[in-house]
Amino acid sequence: MTEVLPKRITKEIERLMNDPAPGIKAVPFEDNLRYFDVVMAGPTQSPFQGGEFKLELFLPGGYPMEPPKVRFLTKIYHPNIDKLGRICLDILKDKWSPALQIRTVLLSIQALLSAPNPDDPLDNNVAQHWKDNEKDAIATAAAWTSQYALPGK
Amino acid sequence: MAKIPRSFRLLEELEKGEKGIGDGSCSYGLANGEDHSLSTWNGTILGPPNSYHENRIYSLMIHCDENYPDAPPRIRFISRINLPCVNPETGIVDPRKLACLAHWKRNYTMETVLVELRREMASPSNRKLHQPPEGSTF
Repeated sequence: MTEVLPKRITKEIERLMNDPAPGIKAVPFEDNLRYFDVVMAGPTQSPFQGGEFKLELFLPGGYPMEPPKVRFLTKIYHPNIDKLGRICLDILKDKWSPALQIRTVLLSIQALLSAPNPDDPLDNNVAQHWKDNEKDAIATAAAWTSQYALPGK
Repeated sequence: MAKIPRSFRLLEELEKGEKGIGDGSCSYGLANGEDHSLSTWNGTILGPPNSYHENRIYSLMIHCDENYPDAPPRIRFISRINLPCVNPETGIVDPRKLACLAHWKRNYTMETVLVELRREMASPSNRKLHQPPEGSTF
């Protein structure tokens, strides 16, 4: 028993397929078109450069009146992403607007990788590391990228 | 109907468990806070009043495999307990003997199971069952 997808979601999927955002691949699972397998390239000039990060995204029944749910599956060292891959990003919570889309959400997450925000942390230890010694924290993030996020891993 | 995938369903349960459910008589959390697979959970049940279990704290292991929540979790008591649905040798809850496991529905949660186990402890036929010493484990 598969549901008929709202037109808005069908449109978004079409666009994601035909005109993907640079460095982001999002493909819905065949048995659940609200559930997406996402691969995001680490942004250049960030410690995540060269990495390919897997994420999962789900459009709940209330979408687009409520935000998508997104989680990193690849381990990542980042002050706004916790040990379970949960992401602290305002547009996924109280700053969500139905004018946003899957595409804009994923681009915002990619931007978060370029610009970590240790003042609004989800993982306190990582955030403290970032504040105390940014250079060292960035080195750890780069080491995790090579250890966990290299393409083909 | 939107069908929530396993991982996001378990993350929802995690958040609910972190906030605390109901009156606190049942609780659960991830056994390892870094477990990306969200598979292994600890549960506790506070023994219900007016029963042999009153004031006892029971620990359980809950395992949610790849098929959860389409299929029920596997439950095992760590604390020794004498209940008809619990194997007296291993502590494993027999899924055929607990209604919510035998007739599992996708919208049932770990909380559903813990609450039903606590209700079993308080049932007229079980509440006076003689129990192993408090604090002993399987």
